[in-house]
Order: sequence, then structure tokens, then C-alpha cells
Amino acid sequence: MADPGDMGQAVARVEDGPLVRGHGQFVADLRVPGCLEAAFVRSGVAHGLLRSVDLTASRRTPGVRGAWSASHLDDVPLVPAMLYPEGALDRPWPALATDRVRYAGEPVAIVVAENRYVAEDGRDRARISTEPLPAVLDSAQAGRDEVPLFPGLSNVAVDVTVGEPVDPRVWERAAAVVDTTYRYPALCHTSVEARAILSRPEPGGVLTVWCSHQAPHRLRNDLAAALGLPTDVVRVIVPDVGGAFGGKSETWPEYLAVTAAALRLARPVRWVEDRAEALSAGPRGRAQTQRVRLAADADGRFLAMELHTDAAVGGYPHMGAFLPEVTARMATGAYATPEVHVRARAVLTNTPPLCPYRGAGRPEAAYAVECTVDLLARRIGMDPAELRRRNFVRPDAFPYDTPTGFRYDSGDYPAALDLALKTLDYPRWRAEQAHRRAADGTPLGIGVCAYVERSGAGGEFGAVEAHADGTFTATSGCCATGQAHATTFAQVVASALGVDRHLVHLVEADTSVVPRGVGSFASRSMQNGGEALLEAAHRLLAEARRRLAAQADVPEAEIVVQSGGTLHARGRTRTLGELAAHHPLRAEAQVEPPQAFPFGAYAAVVEVDRELGIVRVLRLVAVDDYGTVVNPLVVHGQTYGSIAQGLGQALYEEAVHDADGRPRTVSLLEYLLPTLSEIPDITLEETCTPNPATRLGAKGAGEAGCIGVPPAVVNAVADALQIDPSTLTVPLTPETCWRAAR
Amino acid sequence: MKPAPFEYLAARTCDEVIGALAAGEGETRVLAGGQSLLLEMNYRAVRPVQLVDINRVRDFGGLDVVTVPDSGPWLCVGPLVRHGRFEQQVEAGPLGRLLARAVHFIAHPPVRARGTMLGSLAYAHPTAEWPTLAVTLDARLDLVHEHGARTLSADDFITGSFATARRPDELLTRVCLPLLPTATGVAFVEHRRTAASFAQLAVAAALSAQDGVVADARIGLAGTAARPTRARAAEALLTGRAPTDEAINRAAAASVGVVDAPDDPHAGDSYRRHAAEVLVRRALMQARDDIAERT
Repeated sequence: MADPGDMGQAVARVEDGPLVRGHGQFVADLRVPGCLEAAFVRSGVAHGLLRSVDLTASRRTPGVRGAWSASHLDDVPLVPAMLYPEGALDRPWPALATDRVRYAGEPVAIVVAENRYVAEDGRDRARISTEPLPAVLDSAQAGRDEVPLFPGLSNVAVDVTVGEPVDPRVWERAAAVVDTTYRYPALCHTSVEARAILSRPEPGGVLTVWCSHQAPHRLRNDLAAALGLPTDVVRVIVPDVGGAFGGKSETWPEYLAVTAAALRLARPVRWVEDRAEALSAGPRGRAQTQRVRLAADADGRFLAMELHTDAAVGGYPHMGAFLPEVTARMATGAYATPEVHVRARAVLTNTPPLCPYRGAGRPEAAYAVECTVDLLARRIGMDPAELRRRNFVRPDAFPYDTPTGFRYDSGDYPAALDLALKTLDYPRWRAEQAHRRAADGTPLGIGVCAYVERSGAGGEFGAVEAHADGTFTATSGCCATGQAHATTFAQVVASALGVDRHLVHLVEADTSVVPRGVGSFASRSMQNGGEALLEAAHRLLAEARRRLAAQADVPEAEIVVQSGGTLHARGRTRTLGELAAHHPLRAEAQVEPPQAFPFGAYAAVVEVDRELGIVRVLRLVAVDDYGTVVNPLVVHGQTYGSIAQGLGQALYEEAVHDADGRPRTVSLLEYLLPTLSEIPDITLEETCTPNPATRLGAKGAGEAGCIGVPPAVVNAVADALQIDPSTLTVPLTPETCWRAAR
Repeated sequence: MKPAPFEYLAARTCDEVIGALAAGEGETRVLAGGQSLLLEMNYRAVRPVQLVDINRVRDFGGLDVVTVPDSGPWLCVGPLVRHGRFEQQVEAGPLGRLLARAVHFIAHPPVRARGTMLGSLAYAHPTAEWPTLAVTLDARLDLVHEHGARTLSADDFITGSFATARRPDELLTRVCLPLLPTATGVAFVEHRRTAASFAQLAVAAALSAQDGVVADARIGLAGTAARPTRARAAEALLTGRAPTDEAINRAAAASVGVVDAPDDPHAGDSYRRHAAEVLVRRALMQARDDIAERT
């Protein structure tokens, strides 16, 4: 019988109707009477001592309602740290710079006005006096501590090692050792909607905050703590969100300054980050430099791997200092390498703050591992696919404890690679490559990447309630930023209850309605939030059974649950709605599933214009295993988007600054994104290894493209040019490839 | 990204525009398609006191072939002719073909629907398509001001990167491009990062053939200097010779002198010089094939 909940079906997103008709409500769309708009005065220098901030002319600008720098405030709110407080505690991050600026674009003052135009007029009239200091812009330079960002403290905010040190004799005795370095540039999140917040003080001391955010409960707690308010007076609502990718999980200094200004003025104040701010002063992702060593025996079996990675975390370690450790723990990759040792450091630099960006530490790990595997394959003259097969963690070895301290739950890595190669028709492309090489034709290359990633972290809340009218409310602690929770969570709940999915309505993203929640990041929504709702739905059914058993005076065991959300007992039939008629019928669940390890294999075919160095991606195959898939349409949509971002990383994207740390990529004419014209022919395939730790079986989806595409493309270009992948640096500009090809 | 305050005048006549420019003391800017000006205003890179919007001016949409005694037919383009107009050949000969090939490199369809050829010429982006073609073809540009008018060659008009000989009180009212002889092969090639990017390099080529030899060669190059330039040494090497591979290779090698490239975070000078030579060669090969396809 058909599942009325459409579990596993590619049903259209219920969110799309309003969005494509222009009825979406993003923070910038909210009509709040009397709302003022904020603009930020930002530091023009990357590192310096802040001598004075003169806002006299700003305040005199007609229409400006207030302007403040740190010196005008008695108590400058401090930016809270996300996840890694130890590196941040002794390095305070004031919401507005107090005595020193640590990156170009750092907020120095806020100007609040009747509209954004006037706010920018006021911003332009501010006068900042800064005594410049030398700027340290990369982790190697900053790590030498010649120019401390926090005097008396090292620029190295975090220094961790994972795994056991490799016995030096392993390197000496190995049949092959490769040793190389990589640089993964700083990237911008470039969500279509950048950051946005609207804070409205209400009568009675309540504060309502609308924010384009991924974790409303955390934002609520952070705002309350930073501004000295009781948690229960702050209400955070997340309206429609135009993409987040990790850049909206944090409590940014701008949010604190906007809210502080709103409280001071007792007026609603909104800040909508524009593209210029997002690209020049907004958060960054990646920014790692790595050194990798890999040893193998004569058969190509990996003996040991060593990685040293430094992340340039920007002027403050608060948001991104934990990322190098994620890379460190993921450095095992898909392989049964017996010894893996990693040192990972978070180094302060005079650049905008680093934070998670789609993949968050895993793309950096996959890049280091997968490009190095291809390098080794070249050295020992083995087909890179074959070298991977010889080293995969075997399907019967799960759960697999990695030398880096993670437990891989389940997987079949050879199956994913084999499906990718079959889908690509690997032998045909190898034949085409041989033919072209013989004929001195346009170089063609094939690259693969076998990835393992990590998803889900922490617990999640879910609740399901039946209503007398036959509808249901599902309440989740997650917070969609484009992932179609209203569609997919309804599928999960409706399928469990045996009711039509249109009867299930989702409530999330409002801290006044959802008692607790963690949010949507780390690919956790379906894995954790979906599991919580599934558990709550089953508890609701159990409660309904008990209720009907009591009403009908029959043992619970005799009650039969049928499709349509009906229960039968000795001739009596009750719907869930009927059972909820006189007494609320509601169940909650708090689940704590362990992190999961989705995996897959990507394969790319590229052509390189040898004369100009231009890379053309001809073909891309993505095989992903996300465990149970609730809605393939939604998952594929996320995969396509992630692949496009992966292509951006491989070929186009880099946040570039000048020698003094001032941004050079300040618009989308300089910070290049792939457009539809640059998207190749893509084929998506799946294997399915359900999450063994949950009832639902889902693992994280949506970040894999960013992880799998860059190594696959770089390996393909290296293969085309018959060079070491480590001689290439992303983004693969034509100049980079031209130089490499010479 | 909101512009600084400005006054706005929606002009109805050419005289009104010119009057506003004269009164504007250099602080008035003309708004045609607005595809570059408004972006710069939003970034507050420019802060004009006044914008004079010409979109309602009648008779600014002219696109005609005008025959001038002693210099033959010219395609004359008015201030409100949008880029997209050239996607279909506006003239049946090689000039129309060249314009149709070049226009596809201009940004993307929404920009082509609003932006204008004259706006692009007045803006003088160092690697923009229309300035490159105008220099290559020796276009003539008409400038009008309150007390008179003058006509400049494209070479005299475009003086540098985003710099022209237009005085602040002058309005660019027309550009005229010479029609090309029927036996002319044309090509336009570009090197850019994505389909939506500005060119890093652009090359326009027109080879007129007579009895198997090149009677007239025009090669325009953008991205190796502050403004588009003619590769005159390369043109001279081709003129009077058959366009063989060898001749084309020699011309390409001679086309790139000193590179004084626009500031670009993505490409250095040596790559630019090399890529320019490759592009000139490819453009000349295409132009040669274009002749062959039509004879």
C-alpha cells in the first residue's frame, strides 16, 4: 500500500510556491513600523592602533538617529566564542573596535538612520584615526609571532595533535614516500542573501530579533548573555533565509552592535549586509596551508600519513579556531592507513574572521588526502583508482576506529568508487586519453576523489501534536536555511503516522514557540532533527494506543494502528484527531545520535587548453551515500548546489587582498562564481548504507560536492597535463595551469 | 551599497541634456543603460551631483547606414541603441557579422538589454568590446556641446583606462563605424574567466582579401594596455601577403609589444603577453576562415 507520507519520494518542495511568486519574507522584506537602518563604519587598515573615532559629522547628517563607536558606549558587548572558548577567552573581541583593529573591514562604529541611504551618508562622514601596524596576512608569517595581534599572546590560538607520532623508520623503510604542500585559499560564503538582522525592543522589556540565522536558540542565548538580558526576554525568529553555508551560525559583532543600538534608541533597527560588505569584511572559509607526507609499501599499501595544517583564522579566533582540528580528525580519509598523525594550528592573521563554510574542515582534509593519493599513484605508476581500492577501509571493518580518534559508523567505499567509474565509463575516457596523447591532441584528464565526511553533532529536539481537526503540528529545533524542512520533515512524520503529508505542518525557527533546539549546520537536520521527529511521532502513536486502550478498556496489545492515522480495538475505530479531541495528544523527543560518516566518490573529466591554461570540465559524476534519503529531489538540489560551489573552489573563487591586507575582491566582478555557463554535464548516483545508529537511517547530505569536486578536478587537470597535482593551486586560474603545463 | 544623494533630471530633448551638462560644471553624468554607472554609484566610487536620464529622449535610438561622399557607407548608432540590438545582424555585410560576434561577449542578456553602445564607449573600460571594435575600425564619434560639435576618431577619443577626450559638458551623440568590403573576414575572440566576467584580453580582427592576398588588415587588442590599441606592426606584416599560417604566426608574434596591463588580481603580465599572442593568432585564423567560408 502506498505511503501517504511519501517517504523517500521526490515530491516538490512546498516552500517553492511562495518563493517563486515573490512572497518570500526575508529579513529585508519585513515591514516593521518605525524601523531604522544601520550601516557600519569599518576599518580601512588591516592592523593598527585605533586613536580616535569622530562621529560629529555623522550625527549631524539629517536623518541620522544615532552613531556610536566603542568610546561612546559604557559597556561594549563582547562577541561570544563558538565551540572553542579557550583560545578566545583571553583574546576579547569587542563588537566595535576599542583600541586596536585586527582586520580591514572590522566594525569601528555603527550609524543608525531613517533609511540605509542616509545611514551610509553618515557612515561616510565618520573620521577614524588609526596608527598602522604591520599586517600579518598568512599563517606562516603570523605563526612566527613577530607581529602579535594580541600583545603578550602568541598568534597561535590553537595547537592540537591527533594520532600517534609516526615511527621515523616507517619513512625510511617505505618503498615510496611522497611529501608535498598545499594551499587552500580563503573563500567567501556568497549566499544570495548575505547576513541580516532586525532587533525590536518591545514594551515590557521584551526583545524580538529577526535574523537570517542557522541556530536561533544559540543566537538568543548569546545575545542575552552579551547584552546582560535574561534569556527569556529575547525572542529570535528566523524568517526565510537565502542560504547560509555556515556563515550564519555565529553571533557576529554586527548583530550585537545593532541590538545594542536598538535598545539604546528603543526603536527597531535593521542591518542588511550588502555584497560589498560580505565580500570585503564578511566571514571567510577554508584558508589552510598544509604539508602532507604519505608512505606506501611496494604494493601501494599505505603505511603512514602525516599532516601539518595551519588555518589563517583571521583577527579573532572565536568562530574558526576549531576548524583545523576537524581537518585533523578527518585526515584518515577513506583509507585503512595504520598510522596517521596530524598537527593542526589556528593562527591569527589580519584578515576577516574564519568560520565554517560548507564542508567546514572536511574539504581541506579531503584535498590534502586525495591529491596526495594521486601524487603517490604517479610516483609508483599505478592507476589512481586501483591505488584507492587497495587501501580503502574494507566494508566488513565497520565500525572503524580511525587513528585520528573518530569512529566511522558504516560504509562501502569500494562500491561507491566502482559505481562512479562505471557511471563515468572510465575505460572509455582512458582510451580517449590515450588516443589524444598519441595524436598530440588537446590534453584530457580523469580525476577521482573518494571522500568520507562527518555529519551531525549534538542532540536535537522534536515534538509532534495531533489536533482534533485531523491536522498535525511537528515542532523542530532545527532551522531551515533552504533545506526544505517543511516538505521533508512532514514526509518523515506523516509516514510514521500513516497520514497524508499535507496534514502535517512544521513549526521551527522561533524560540518563543520551540522550547529548545540546536539548529541546522553540519548536515545535521535530517540525521538529528528528522530522527527526533520520527521518535516523537512513534511516541505519539504509543500515547494514542494507551489512550484508546483506556477508553475501550482493552489491552494495548490488541490495538492495531492502520494507515490514515487510525487505531482499531475490538470494533472501535478512532483517528488520532478524535483521540486528541478532549485532551492534548502530543509527544516530545530529545535524541542524541552520534555523528555519522557519509561517503562517496566523485569523478571528473577535464580538457585543458594547453596554450591558454583554460580548464573545461567535460563531465562530472557524483556518487554519494547519505544513508536513507527522505526526498531525493531535495537532496539532489543540495548536491547540485554543493557541486557548483565545489567547481567555484576548484576553478574560480579566492578572496584576494593586497600586501597591506586590504580586500581586492570586493564585488562579484572580482570574486568569481561559476555561472550556469560554467556548469558541466553532471550525473548523480547513490549508494545507500543506512545510518546504523538511528531509526530513520539518514546521514548528512548537502556538503559533499564542496568536498569531492575540488580534488577530483585538480587530479583530473594534473592527469591531463601529466604533472603532480601538488604543483597546482586552487583556484586553477588559466595562468596557474599555463605555468604548470610549461 | 546605496548611492550618495544626487539630483535626477529626466530629459526629453537633446538640448535639455546638453543644457544640463553645461550647467552641471562637471558634476552631471548622463544615465543611459546605467549598467556601469549605477554600480559605481552604489559603491560610491562616483558621486555625481546630478544624473540626466536620456532614456526618454526621442530620436536617440537611431541606427542607420549613412553614405558619406568620398568615404563610403557608415553604420551610425545613436545613444539609446542597446547592446542586444546587435545580436541579430544589423547590417548584412562583414561589419554586421563582426558586431553580432562581439556582442555575445558583453556580460549577459539582462545587461545587454539595458546597456548601450555609446554608454560603453563613453565609459571606456580597458577591455570592453565596443571600444575595442571602435579603435580597430577607426570609428568616428560625434560630440555635441552647448556651443558646437566636434567629431573625433576612436583613437583620439579613448585616451586611457576609463578615460576619454569627452569634456564634461559634451554629450556623445553618435558613433559611426565604416562598413567593411564584402570580401572581409572578421573575428572577435576573448579570454575571460567566466561567461559573466569582463575580458582579460580581447582581440578584434578584420582581414580584407583581394586575389588571395590581404589588402587591408585591422587588428585591435584590448587588455595589454590601458586602452585598446591597434597592432599596427602585425597589420603591416600581413598586408600585401597571403594569410598563410606562417604569416599569421609572425603577425601574432609582432602584435604584442610592451604590456602595460590593467590591474587584475588574477593574471600577471607575462601570462597576459603570452595569451595575447595566442589570441591574436586565433583571431586571425578565424578571420581567414571567415573569408574562405564566404568566397
